[in-house]
Amino acid sequence: MSAPLSKSRALACRFLSFRSILKNNGSGVTVSCPAFIARGHNYSLKGYSSGTSPTLQKAAAAEASQLPEDVVEDVVNVDVAAKSLQHHDYFGVRELVTVSDMFKARVHLGHKQGLRDPYMAPYLFGNRLGVDIFDLDQTLTLFQDALNFTAHIAYRGGIILFLTRHRQTMPWVERTAVEAKEYSHCRFWKGGTFTNAAVQFGTVTRLPDLCIFLNTQNNAFLPHAAITDSAKLLIPTVGIVDSNCDPRLITYPVPGNDDTPVSVEYYCSLFKKAILIGKRKRRQDGLGKD
Amino acid sequence: MAAHMGRLRHAVLTNQTLLNNWRVIVSDVLPRQFHYSCTLDADTPRPSKAFNKPAPTKAEKISKAMKAYIERAQAQDEMLKRETADYEIGKRHLANIMGLDPEHMTDRQVKESIQYLLPSGLYDLPSRPLMKPPQKVFPKRKDAQFGMDGRPFHSFFYTGKPQFYELLHKVTWKLEALKKEEDKLRDSGALFETEEKTEKLSLHENEWISYDTLKARVMEDISQQDYGQFLKLMTRFVEHPLAHKEARYIMKFRQRLNRQNFGDKIKPLKTAKDGRSFMTAEGYRKSAVADVTVRGHGSGRVAINGSDLEYFSLSMHREQIMFPIQFVNMLGEIDIESQVSGGGSSSQAGAIRLGLAQALTSFVSPDVVEKMRLAGLLTRDPRRKERKKPGQAKARKKFTWKKR
Repeated sequence: MSAPLSKSRALACRFLSFRSILKNNGSGVTVSCPAFIARGHNYSLKGYSSGTSPTLQKAAAAEASQLPEDVVEDVVNVDVAAKSLQHHDYFGVRELVTVSDMFKARVHLGHKQGLRDPYMAPYLFGNRLGVDIFDLDQTLTLFQDALNFTAHIAYRGGIILFLTRHRQTMPWVERTAVEAKEYSHCRFWKGGTFTNAAVQFGTVTRLPDLCIFLNTQNNAFLPHAAITDSAKLLIPTVGIVDSNCDPRLITYPVPGNDDTPVSVEYYCSLFKKAILIGKRKRRQDGLGKD
Repeated sequence: MAAHMGRLRHAVLTNQTLLNNWRVIVSDVLPRQFHYSCTLDADTPRPSKAFNKPAPTKAEKISKAMKAYIERAQAQDEMLKRETADYEIGKRHLANIMGLDPEHMTDRQVKESIQYLLPSGLYDLPSRPLMKPPQKVFPKRKDAQFGMDGRPFHSFFYTGKPQFYELLHKVTWKLEALKKEEDKLRDSGALFETEEKTEKLSLHENEWISYDTLKARVMEDISQQDYGQFLKLMTRFVEHPLAHKEARYIMKFRQRLNRQNFGDKIKPLKTAKDGRSFMTAEGYRKSAVADVTVRGHGSGRVAINGSDLEYFSLSMHREQIMFPIQFVNMLGEIDIESQVSGGGSSSQAGAIRLGLAQALTSFVSPDVVEKMRLAGLLTRDPRRKERKKPGQAKARKKFTWKKR
């Protein structure tokens, strides 16, 4: 039985359908998301965890109503990027992940039972000698989804930000970001980095389009501030959630071990591959330079 | 309700909402009559009342910012060019006036010429007439951090201190590389110190660059805590047994010790006719003057004004003389001869000690000399008798205080 989707995950699915053009000289667009429909995922508002916002409920109600007046049916060019959404695995990243590889990388090892976050319970296979064990079958599908999403973002020239506050594995994460030609922030998180970016960086700055957390906690074992900031600014997040982490605000949670260097190196290598494949496809499909 | 989301609507949207907009806000695609808690006014392109031109999207703002930066950069480059041309012409005129060679006029000569031709008595030095190359006068502009598409150039841009953290990142990976090499050497059994280590990496004559130097080098606003972190990392780096392989890189972060250094005052050893090395030095304390000769290849003989250590009756004074020799572990290896005059017994002992320590600096390595300096052996004791003041019994002692 798979865990219910997080609220922000459903929101991101809707955004993916609307974020189809990033090219400057693209014109009108038809947006659809048959890929999701084809997989038969059930996006029920009521299926979310407690605290459904009235906004979304009203939004769902509004769906049934007619289109607003200022929206014009204006189809000129077929969106090249939307073709990528027709395919279940356009970038071939789903085959990169295997259960045996994850097992060898010790992804299945969680923390002790006492540290367990109750929201992680659905992702656990069980408990062995006091140690929580992740259900790698669930992790497989969730990791594949996360990699696919990452590749799509890279395909569209999005800015990807790697985050972690785990000091032991931090150099690896920084290196992965450099090699993938993306960005990383593995240092102390200043409060206004996203929410007050114009003042912090001195000028209007483009914020990341995806945040990948290799560790969703900070050094005080509290959720990383960037998780809530990303949610505030509607930046989708991918996060490796350990058994002591809170997965609720992460768009694409990937339950797994985030403390062992071997595991983190494994995740980093796969994220890097996904990004590079996405960028390669971008060049091949003529969407942009890099 | 479940069916609602299962059937994602086919929304057909205008160019205005999607084009050049990296993140579409929920309010853009949903009917406007509801209140949305998740809208962000700064990013949402609200159509203006005139409805002719909506407010600029973020992408447009960024490309405008980049265009403006490029214009400013070009304007500054052109201005610098003009100023440099004027400066060069001015320099030639100046050389003409002063009778110097216009082809090979140095900046120092320019400065001196201006000071001669336009003397100024103003106390505020920057207000005095100056003639410097324009690059040094006009402030440098901060380079653009990102390109036209808004993507920053530096991978650590979002941290706020990209150059500083890149430095730490580099050093961390160099250390990791050294660790790997050490493992390889250990596996092959060849992990022991060689001569080359001490030659390549000498850290006793220099210290880590200061906070200000690092800040200027990195061109970022780093805090004292950041500097502390930098020092910790570099110390760990240097302590690795294979750190000498990165000696060149490490030396970039070392500066000459600008605190007191005895290194310049070490004199080379002299050789006597009988082949023994020796060194002479003078020592002072209060009004005592001691002339000390230290001879190598000795057996610990001491001669003060012709007599033995018995010259000093108190063991305290004898220990004072022994202290420098014991500090450098040369007890029984050297002979001492000394002529001392002036002062009292303690002063004479102190004078001999200083002279002896100074002479010993020629016998030992600079590391040990630095340790001697830190122990206070090489410092002339400047204390003298404090004068008696009027209205007091002695230098410090006051007369009895009476309340009434």
